Amino acid sequence: MIRMLLRVLGREYTRPMRRTVALMAVTAIAEGLSYALLVPVLRALFGSNPGDARPWLAAFGAAVAVYAVLRYRSDLSGFRVGATLLRGLYHRFGNHLARLPIGRYSAGRVGEVSVMAGRGLLQAMGVAAHLLAPFISACVTPLTIVVVMLAFDWRMGLAASVAVPVVAAIQHRTGRSMAAVDAERAERDHEATARVVEYLQAQPVLRAGGRTAERFRLLDDSLLAVERASHRTILSALPGAVALTLAVQAMFTVLLVLGAHLALGGNIGAAEVLTFLVLAARCADPLLSLSDLGGRLRSARSVLARLDTVLGTEPLPEAREPIRPEGHDVEFDSVSFRHGDRTVVDDVSLSVPEGQRLAVVGPSGAGKSTLLQLLARFYDVDAGAVRVGGVDVRDIDGEVLMAQIAIVFQEVYLFDGTIEENVRLGRPDAADAEVRAAAAAAQLDEVVERLPGGWSTKVGEGGALLSGGERQRVSIARALLKNAPIVLLDEVTSALDPVNETAVHEGIERLMRGRTVVMVAHRLRTVQRADRVAFLDGGRIVEQGSHDELLRRGGRYADFWDISMAG
Amino acid sequence: MTTTDLAGASVRSTPPPDAGPATGRSAAGLLRPYLPGFATVVVFQVIGAIAGLAPLLAVVELGRVLLSSGPVDHGHVWFVVVAGAVGLFVRLLFTAASSGIGHVLDSRVQLTFRRQLAARLGRVPIGWFSRRRTGELAKVVGEDVGAVHPFIAHAPAELVSAFVVPLVSLVYLFTVDWRLTLITLVPVVLAVALVPLMTTPTRRREQEEFDGAMGRISSSVVEFVQGIAVVKAFGGSGRAHRRFLTAADDFVGVFFRWVRGVSGIAAGMQLALSPPFVLLVVLIGGAALITDGGLAPADLLPFLLLGLGLTAPVAALGHGFDDLQAARRAVGRIRDVLQVPPLPEPAHPVAPRGHRVELRDVRFGYSDDHEVLRGIDLVLDPGTVTAIVGPSGSGKSTLVRLLPRFFDPTRGSVALGGVDLRELDSRELYRTVSFVFQDVRLLRASVADNIALAVPDADLDDVVRAARLADIHDRILALPRGYETVLGDEAGLSGGEAQRISLARALLADAPVLVLDEATAFADPRTEQAVRRALATQAGERTILVIAHRLETVADADTVVVLENGRIAERGKPAELLAQDGKFAAFWRSRRSAIADGTGTRGVPRGDELR
Ligand SMILES: Nc1ncnc2c1ncn2[C@@H]1O[C@H](COP(=O)(O)OP(=O)(O)O)[C@@H](O)[C@H]1O
Ligand SMILES: Nc1ncnc2c1ncn2[C@@H]1O[C@H](COP(=O)(O)OP(=O)(O)O)[C@@H](O)[C@H]1O
Ligand SMILES: [Mg+2]
Ligand SMILES: [Mg+2]
Repeated sequence: MIRMLLRVLGREYTRPMRRTVALMAVTAIAEGLSYALLVPVLRALFGSNPGDARPWLAAFGAAVAVYAVLRYRSDLSGFRVGATLLRGLYHRFGNHLARLPIGRYSAGRVGEVSVMAGRGLLQAMGVAAHLLAPFISACVTPLTIVVVMLAFDWRMGLAASVAVPVVAAIQHRTGRSMAAVDAERAERDHEATARVVEYLQAQPVLRAGGRTAERFRLLDDSLLAVERASHRTILSALPGAVALTLAVQAMFTVLLVLGAHLALGGNIGAAEVLTFLVLAARCADPLLSLSDLGGRLRSARSVLARLDTVLGTEPLPEAREPIRPEGHDVEFDSVSFRHGDRTVVDDVSLSVPEGQRLAVVGPSGAGKSTLLQLLARFYDVDAGAVRVGGVDVRDIDGEVLMAQIAIVFQEVYLFDGTIEENVRLGRPDAADAEVRAAAAAAQLDEVVERLPGGWSTKVGEGGALLSGGERQRVSIARALLKNAPIVLLDEVTSALDPVNETAVHEGIERLMRGRTVVMVAHRLRTVQRADRVAFLDGGRIVEQGSHDELLRRGGRYADFWDISMAG
Repeated sequence: MTTTDLAGASVRSTPPPDAGPATGRSAAGLLRPYLPGFATVVVFQVIGAIAGLAPLLAVVELGRVLLSSGPVDHGHVWFVVVAGAVGLFVRLLFTAASSGIGHVLDSRVQLTFRRQLAARLGRVPIGWFSRRRTGELAKVVGEDVGAVHPFIAHAPAELVSAFVVPLVSLVYLFTVDWRLTLITLVPVVLAVALVPLMTTPTRRREQEEFDGAMGRISSSVVEFVQGIAVVKAFGGSGRAHRRFLTAADDFVGVFFRWVRGVSGIAAGMQLALSPPFVLLVVLIGGAALITDGGLAPADLLPFLLLGLGLTAPVAALGHGFDDLQAARRAVGRIRDVLQVPPLPEPAHPVAPRGHRVELRDVRFGYSDDHEVLRGIDLVLDPGTVTAIVGPSGSGKSTLVRLLPRFFDPTRGSVALGGVDLRELDSRELYRTVSFVFQDVRLLRASVADNIALAVPDADLDDVVRAARLADIHDRILALPRGYETVLGDEAGLSGGEAQRISLARALLADAPVLVLDEATAFADPRTEQAVRRALATQAGERTILVIAHRLETVADADTVVVLENGRIAERGKPAELLAQDGKFAAFWRSRRSAIADGTGTRGVPRGDELR
């Protein structure tokens, strides 16, 4: 458990964590040992000369003082370590997520990641801050007490120590049998969270389809599954809890019986027996709390295990000795790529010399967007190589590659915030004039002027508060502002009216002169200004050449052009 | 196991709450059916807890017997021992049952809350969502409901063991020796004295900041995952996911401050309540009273055994305090959502006559200071195709959103079959109008379920027919499990493919009014042509409203409406409008000029024939 915690946290936390755990263990031992002094104290008090208790009482007082100092320090240390860990965990988690390949992000992941980032990390941190100390004390203090008993009376001590392996075995078995149930429960939780997010975001579609909560089974099923899973957890936890209680109580009963028997036989003093029974009660309480603590630790552990899996997932492999690309030309060299069994890009070879523009045309589903994603190394190719400036993208440092490329995606996503914040994401240190120039080229200035909020208009989550065309223009401005030497444009004017569309393309052309551009477009007039056109169908390049050449050839491209014209 | 049966008797797993009567219920009202269950939990807990005192009292009694001078009554000793053991057994039985029932009850209550929240969220006005973050709302349904757990599963048990047991013990100890009882209470008083320090306004503010920061993490993480492509593309040195990291740092900052403020006090409190300290106090007091005050040594025993139990209420307050506070705040957030007024439904719905759609002087703005639609008069006659064109941001999608009542107009009215939408039963409305929205939204469900969204009981033949019409059937067959493939999990689709699925969805609904908002924006010319032809064969008596930017799409419409800045700038037949040489003609020209400056000379636009 602690090993896993340490692995998840990373090496820099090993030492403070170890220290804290050691401190907690020492505190627990101190507590147990201090009880040893109860024996002489009570022997005196129950005996004929209670005054004899005084020195022993003073000793007990001193022991408690030592315990108090230790306890106070270990509590504080637990809190501190917990808080420090939390911070480290969040950063580690966030940075790692940002580096995972995009293929790892399916719709269902929202649930898992958000549960983890919210309750999950907090729970993992709570292990250090709240759970570890009671848990260690619940294990170590009773053990120490048993040792103390053994030291004073081997018969009572032996009877008590029988409980040790039994309790340990029960805890171990419960832990094992619960692991699967806990995992299942976490799974259901994630699923339900993902469904709730989907349900909230798909409200327009669901309502127009007449599907309210009652009729959206997927959500209700997932909520029901959470309930079922939590029932199962309770049912499977119950035997363990009952067995533990039974074992502890049996120990207490045995000590009671044995004590009564020994006392009646006169084999042991009444004061000793009574002291041992007080000690036994001191053993029983922490042991009983083990089942609750164990449960909480287990769920924290399942979170940690998941974190461990996520953090253990390799991001796209980084080159050991990254090469800096010199130029900004782009090349696909016999590239193939599959989504599952489906070959989406099939042996594509293409090259775009620096400063030139390539238009990719083809039916929807041909693999155009995928081609752009391969270039930005959102995925790695299955065969062949994608090169930028003559260097395989796999040999380029991730950040360096991203700095070379500006992308406008087919599906626009804006972050909740203002228009300005979203545009500036392209280059946070850009001068105002540059922001304005990018906005003008993207025809965003018209939007900013028209909206009452101007630059500080809120765009809403994903950009939901803007119209489709406005959103698209924000994302174009964002990419233009980035001022990268390679520009990838994926159907960037699909939501724009013809007037704006023409203007935006002129703007892009003006601002992106001299850049290497790869663009996907369906409207052929945007395409005809490109230096080269590649016609993609079923992941293969069917035709390639300049607009005029392809028209003259009278092939697929020319057909497209005709249909588009004919209406 | 008896626990589940008991719980089951009082609360059968109810079907999802019916939208009608349930909506008015408050959070407390929701709990009412579970009261018998709670009562059982509490009663069992009381029995178990009191039985738990038996073994301790047995030790006390044993002490009295052993320490008394005089002959020991063996029979009495063994009776005491047996009584103690029986007490333990009873305690085991009842506390286990109580905790089992408590937890089962808890998950039932959580389910009820979640269903209720979902039902309410499915009925609040759509506009309400656009001002909220998905992550925060999802947190209310998920985590906040979960945070109620200590209230329900633990509170009864903890309250009982925290108050009933100490109370009983206290009474008993007073009868033994009132002076030592007071001394035993010293640690409790010390700890209680520290409690106010933990509930100062500062602490409380920190708690609220704590929740706020947590909410921000939840919402930023949804953005983080859904916008991951942007995060990667613009994420040089963590820029784009900075929002997440900032939210996390804020949270940790608040947490740190809170820890710094509270940890000292909390640790002090824990110390005051710790067994060694309590024992020390009892022993010092006991020693003094035994030597000088005439306390019988045997009377010290109950204090050593039961005295520790007196600290339970304060310990529970200290330890469970945070949880309970958090639960209270979570309940507050849940109540806030449950109290959002739903979109009003008509008390006496009127049935529409026919399905002509009429907009009369419709005005609408998302906020008061900015009107998006400024007086729209528009009639969509059955059997006609109306096309809306206009610059982006002119209000086309907004107009479309009034038809499913996502928003109600601020002035004027939208009527279907002569009835104002506000007087129409919403089911009737959704049966009559089907939509393809500009923002495609597929569910993480099978392709067939996605297409049959509005008609869950449609058979596969109908689904396939709709898919063929939308020109997506072949692609679906190429998916790993055809129509059964779960989108998002098993396969993804390209933008154009997704658009065609949502088109198939609208076609399957087969509603008399069909509204398409840029439904083929991502389609290539060939697909677009195929889809347009399919729609043409569908037309018949149907009323169709299309928003499109390609004039080829618009050219076949019966009426074209040019929307500009929330007003209708032009309307008429496409050919007439071109002849008028107004806005529509200007649009058309901008497109033609773009073509003309290329060198391609094939395919003279046939649009010219319209002139
Ligand atoms: N995550 C995915 N899993 C499986 N198949 C996918 C996924 N994303 C896209 N595809 C498939 O890959 C093909 C190419 O998609 P894409 O590159 O988006 O096409 P487009 O040319 O329209 O941009 C499509 O057939 C699409 O269905
Ligand atoms: N949910 C919303 N909240 C606030 N403003 C919105 C919302 N949706 C759209 N708008 C604004 O209303 C105007 C019209 O948008 P819309 O109807 O989507 O335009 P379009 O004609 O491009 O479809 C735009 O200026 C847009 O910013
Ligand atoms: Mg695409
Ligand atoms: Mg729109």
